[in-house]
Amino acid sequence: MNTTQSWIVVADDAAATGLVGAARTLGTEVVAVVAGRREVADALATAADRVLWLGEPGEAPVEAFAPAVAALVAQAAPRAVVGATTPSGRALLGAVGAALQAPVLSGIGTVELSGDQVVVTRSVLGGVSEHRTGVEGTAVLAVDAGAAVSGTPAAAVEEVAGEALAGARVTEVRPRERAGVNLGAARTVVAVGRGLKAREDVALLTELAGAFGGELACSRPLAEGVDWLPKERYIGISGQHIAPELYVAVGISGQLQHMVGVREAGVIVAVNSDKNAPVFSQCDYGVVGDLYQVVPALTAALKGGA
Amino acid sequence: MKIVVAYKWAPNPQDADVRPDGTVDLSRAKAAVSEYDPVAFELARRLADATAGEVIGLSVGAASIDTPLARKAALSRGLDRLVLVADDALADADGTRLAAVLAAAVRAIGDVDVVLAGDSSIDVAAGQVPLTLAGELGWLGLASVSRVEAADGGLVVERDLPGGTTVLAVAGPVVLAATADAVVPKVAGMKDILAAAKKPTEVLALDGLDVPAPGATLTTLSTAKPGGGDRQATVIDGADPAAAAAQLVGALRQAGAL
Ligand SMILES: Cc1cc2nc3c(=O)[nH]c(=O)nc-3n(C[C@H](O)[C@H](O)[C@H](O)COP(=O)(O)OP(=O)(O)OC[C@H]3O[C@@H](n4cnc5c(N)ncnc54)[C@H](O)[C@@H]3O)c2cc1C
Ligand SMILES: Nc1ncnc2c1ncn2[C@@H]1O[C@H](COP(=O)(O)O)[C@@H](O)[C@H]1O
Repeated sequence: MNTTQSWIVVADDAAATGLVGAARTLGTEVVAVVAGRREVADALATAADRVLWLGEPGEAPVEAFAPAVAALVAQAAPRAVVGATTPSGRALLGAVGAALQAPVLSGIGTVELSGDQVVVTRSVLGGVSEHRTGVEGTAVLAVDAGAAVSGTPAAAVEEVAGEALAGARVTEVRPRERAGVNLGAARTVVAVGRGLKAREDVALLTELAGAFGGELACSRPLAEGVDWLPKERYIGISGQHIAPELYVAVGISGQLQHMVGVREAGVIVAVNSDKNAPVFSQCDYGVVGDLYQVVPALTAALKGGA
Repeated sequence: MKIVVAYKWAPNPQDADVRPDGTVDLSRAKAAVSEYDPVAFELARRLADATAGEVIGLSVGAASIDTPLARKAALSRGLDRLVLVADDALADADGTRLAAVLAAAVRAIGDVDVVLAGDSSIDVAAGQVPLTLAGELGWLGLASVSRVEAADGGLVVERDLPGGTTVLAVAGPVVLAATADAVVPKVAGMKDILAAAKKPTEVLALDGLDVPAPGATLTTLSTAKPGGGDRQATVIDGADPAAAAAQLVGALRQAGAL
């Protein structure tokens, strides 16, 4: 194993501050392998010590380069390999994990070197427990991608040969307008769940969020089951993790997979008509009542006091 | 088309007992087909019906994944047959080990065109196993698949990615992990459950499969119960909404949360 190097695997996305940060902690030389466009490789050259680029992908999906990325990593046998938790980031990490027969660790909190060993904290089993784990062999880590890297180029981009898997072609991309919300920066977040009966009732919550001077969020079913709110706005293990000063959960039952996303919130308020809803054991203030009555009253009380 | 559905028989950690030292007791948590895997069953069935193909369920894990109830739960969801690798040597297996065993089973099944999987499992929830499986097989692996259809001997695959919807033409073997809302799975009826009893299940011996040795090992150095989960709620009766709202706003002001 090459204990001076740590590698990052990049899937056509310059959002890589999280990857670079973890890799810097674990190795003195950070080598980036970039599958995707040249501009992404150029961006990485501002943050990594070496950049290996697999060439323009053309019509191939970035996932088609996963075996080529894995072959490069396996040959170098670095101490750590870090990739993003995004769908294509996980595809590159999967190929790396397979090539090294090494577990891909997720839910990562902190990373450190203890002597020569990589030690991470990670949240396991949907977040019910926190483990401190030492890795014997190459540590393969999936971390939050972070923000785009930028600055002055420090490394040259080296183009390396790497075949894409044949047979898959991207035929169409329909860009989606990103909602452009930054829930992470909001002081107050008001979230709504399946207790809401109709799409038009979202307006009630928009008003409440406005009265709090906060942002509107939701549980996963409202973003992925019925599409009443954009996917960028759902909170939880597969959505956003946030730590606002105040979190107000309206018509949300309080399942583990949702609540793990707001564990670090300052104050949590729940509004739910079922007094036995699990959310009531995970909040600071719980209003037992019908959201259709409580929400307008709360909006009025907030406005009245202003 | 020969389609394999990889599904997990797993407990919901919501029902786990977490001790103060962070160790977890799952004995009260009942296992079931992992929450989002029925989406993969449904996509597989539709694809098989459109191509006069076959759907084979595949799950690997501890011996407890093979019970009459577990078999029925899988076989009643539109499968033609079931293949299991159930061995206690896999009880605490990490995702790469599970993927390696799944890959060996896919090779043993033979001539598989597509593996369909769920978005993420209810217990591990990393969305990693299908993509590591693709790596083990040397196949293309695509996550966030929202639609899949047969076309021109291959597949048209639609993906819901952060940047937008992406459409691909895919020829050749592929592992696809579905989004949670790709389709609404059919609920198994009495007829499906009765038919399940007649469908074949094959149990593959772990020893008979060609699974590579682990290349890295994990040691748990310590465990902890995460903070923030237990809060002492002040309960406010919402029967009089205006009074409840006033009480809450007052309390939040007092706490400095407004
Ligand atoms: C692998 C995996 C990952 C997941 N990831 C996430 C995630 O990231 N985020 C997430 O949110 N979920 C996630 N889930 C889903 C999660 O398990 C729950 O199913 C989901 O959070 C439930 O959403 P909900 O609380 O809105 O709906 P429900 O559980 O249906 O709760 C609705 C609540 O509304 C209340 N209610 C009904 N009517 C009213 C009314 N008039 N007034 C007041 N209250 C009312 C009900 O009492 C109930 O408590 C995941 C699941 C899995 C398996
Ligand atoms: N042990 C397993 N056997 C079969 N399929 C699995 C297994 N573990 C995970 N999967 C599949 O991989 C998906 C993602 O799981 P995970 O990577 O654990 O989040 C699941 O929804 C299943 O479709």
